[in-house]
Amino acid sequence: MDMIKISDLTKVYKGLRAVDKINLKVGKGMVFGFLGPNGAGKTTTIKMMAGVLAPTEGQIIINGTNLAREPSKVKRWVGFIPDRPFVYEKLSGLEFLRFIAGLYGLDNSPSLRKKISELLDIFELSHWQQELVGSYSHGMKQRLVMCAALLHGPKVLIVDEPMVGLDPRGARLVKDMFRDQARMGTTIFMSTHSLQVAEEVCNEVAIIQEGKIIAEGTGDGLRRQAGVDGNLENIFLKLTEGKRIAHERSLSSN
Amino acid sequence: MKGLYLLISPRFLGFRNQLVRSQNGKRKRIILMSGLGLAFCAGMFAVSCRVLIYFQSAEMIGDVLARHLLSMIILTFFSLLVFSHIITALSNLYLSGDLELCHSIPVDVEELFVSRAFFTVMDSSWMLIIFGLPVFMAYAYVYRPGPGFYFTVLHMNLAMVIIAAGIGILLTMILVHIFPAQRTRDIIMLLTVLMMGALYLLFRFMRPERLVDPEAFFTIAQYLNALKAPQSPYLPTQWITETVWGSLIGSRGGILFGVALTWTTAAALVVINVWVARAVYFEGFSKSQEAKKRRTGGGRVLDLFAKFITKLFGGDLGAVISKDIRTFFRDNTQWSQLLLLIALVVVYVYNFTVLPLDKSPIRLDFLQNILAFLNMGLAGFVLAAVSARFVFTAISAEGEAYWIIRSSPLSLKRYLWGKYFSFLLPMLVLAEILITLTNHLLEVSRFMMLLSSGTMFFMVFGIVALGIGYGALYPNFTCQNVAQVASGFGGVLFMIVSSLFIGMIIVLEAGPVYVLFISNVRGTPVTIYHWTLITLSFLAAFLINMVAIFWPMKMGLKALREYE
Repeated sequence: MDMIKISDLTKVYKGLRAVDKINLKVGKGMVFGFLGPNGAGKTTTIKMMAGVLAPTEGQIIINGTNLAREPSKVKRWVGFIPDRPFVYEKLSGLEFLRFIAGLYGLDNSPSLRKKISELLDIFELSHWQQELVGSYSHGMKQRLVMCAALLHGPKVLIVDEPMVGLDPRGARLVKDMFRDQARMGTTIFMSTHSLQVAEEVCNEVAIIQEGKIIAEGTGDGLRRQAGVDGNLENIFLKLTEGKRIAHERSLSSN
Repeated sequence: MKGLYLLISPRFLGFRNQLVRSQNGKRKRIILMSGLGLAFCAGMFAVSCRVLIYFQSAEMIGDVLARHLLSMIILTFFSLLVFSHIITALSNLYLSGDLELCHSIPVDVEELFVSRAFFTVMDSSWMLIIFGLPVFMAYAYVYRPGPGFYFTVLHMNLAMVIIAAGIGILLTMILVHIFPAQRTRDIIMLLTVLMMGALYLLFRFMRPERLVDPEAFFTIAQYLNALKAPQSPYLPTQWITETVWGSLIGSRGGILFGVALTWTTAAALVVINVWVARAVYFEGFSKSQEAKKRRTGGGRVLDLFAKFITKLFGGDLGAVISKDIRTFFRDNTQWSQLLLLIALVVVYVYNFTVLPLDKSPIRLDFLQNILAFLNMGLAGFVLAAVSARFVFTAISAEGEAYWIIRSSPLSLKRYLWGKYFSFLLPMLVLAEILITLTNHLLEVSRFMMLLSSGTMFFMVFGIVALGIGYGALYPNFTCQNVAQVASGFGGVLFMIVSSLFIGMIIVLEAGPVYVLFISNVRGTPVTIYHWTLITLSFLAAFLINMVAIFWPMKMGLKALREYE
């Protein structure tokens, strides 16, 4: 069964089609990479999937349920990690996690306290749990948001640029965490600029450009589609090249 | 100089782009806000003219009073300017997001400092034009001075702004040199609120209304002697007052000396500021990036309270409300505003203790009824003002972390109504304290007491809904200081709509109460026609209240759902 099914998803901002009729399917336990140049529509798509932004057209089905029709039900299955970790700065790390637990309807039980403690340990935040979030570094806030996204045991993890602001140790931690989660059956939908990360972690990728999916599949599939050998970077550059050159030409001709 | 121009240019380009590229909705906002600003200026001008003409009607002392008023106005402006410069200098010189970029580019620290000081002056002084211009023009209207007066007002105000900026920025640099900028901001915010509260209480307890009481004239005559005495000759406001007053009445004596003193002080402060900036500005900026507050406070008390709230509202809403309470009490810029609220309530109640009801020529019971109605309106307005600051800003208070609410399973409808009910109880308590205490001091009849407290009780439901609804209609999730959100377009609109709502309810109730009062005085029975009118009036008031509760909440919910 497809854990995520996106049909004809479109978002129009003041006349600009940021996302243009995209269709995607992601199976259970998959790590799906969503690649594209800056301004291609990655974050807009992710925000619509997390229920933060309303689509202009199309639908998002998660675990067989339509997000637009039953948003609260779907959001209970989803963990969202945005690209910029804005959190409540006047709460301590522990209070923030308890707040998130409350929002997702988790009782303040010993099992929750154990889970919080485990997650803080995994993300190396135990030492900072009583400190105000306002005093955390960007990377620490990012790791705290990841703890929060995993707290309710989501079936689907939606992640926007997970490596931004993380040190190599943090980045390694996150990659391992994605692999572990996928092994346990969690579906991960991840946008990234880092082709190396996509290559290391993702089972499948889709490339979006100017709001449209221009390629989708496994590494081998994409190689065949692009007609090039080598790593994902070569494929990405080849697939996005045509439009980029056309764009540059139109600029230079003005 | 080229570096300075480049550092200043983004502000002008941004302002130009905002004007040129603003869309229809934004333009309407600008037009409405400008209209309100102009109406305020016109009001200030009219009130100032009225006061000055009234002063002139008093022979001998009219000019003394007008001059003293001018010196008080200039002193008040100057104090406000200094405080305003301290606050804006903190953000412009130490806390702005673009400072990292500015410090990394190859420009002199003096140029960078001067550019930020320039922004500080621009940000802090524009209010002076709105408040000051109508007052000075009122003086010109009443005293008909020559063209020299306008030139003097212009350049002396400019000098006053430079001196206030010099003092404010210098103090800020010294404070940041001693404390980190984040802590300095907290300290200054707290001091500002305390100072405003203290000034407000002091002014009220001085009972300025006694100035118009003829029985107190003997003491005023003594007071006038004190008025004629000048302020300290070392205060720049004294030089500015003397110069402006001299040019107003056409006297030349001492004007040039005042101008020279003021402008040399302004120039000296500019030089001193640049020297000090060269020595300590960069070090202070570097320190400002360290040391945010790390420790949580009041954890146990707040934990207990959170448990109670969770039981009352359920896990998800309880989590949101507990988070709001923790955030509120840990943010010095937030909780300190409660002190102003307490000062407001104390003064409001105090006013009723000094009302000279026994001296009124109107029948006491009739006067008590009128005052009870007036009191409902005023108390309603006080509640609307409190709501503008605390309830209207409740949605925007989520800030950039609003995505957490949006991506959580908590439905927006439940979220919005949860916010509504969390403010309802404290607002009801405040409303009932205000109305019953003041009505008790007015010694109103039992009927009026019941009617007032009942009306206020139901009006609070509408006022809070208007606050939450308009707050959701006009949210600002990017504002650094949530207190500023209340003074934006949405906040002003909320105040206008809630004032109209309060006015409508009171007008609808005034008719029936008048009919009942007259029939009681005359001892005549109330006719069926009048009973019908009374019923219709109360029914209309009830319906308006229902609309005020559900319509803004519905609109706010729709706006939040569509927020991008």
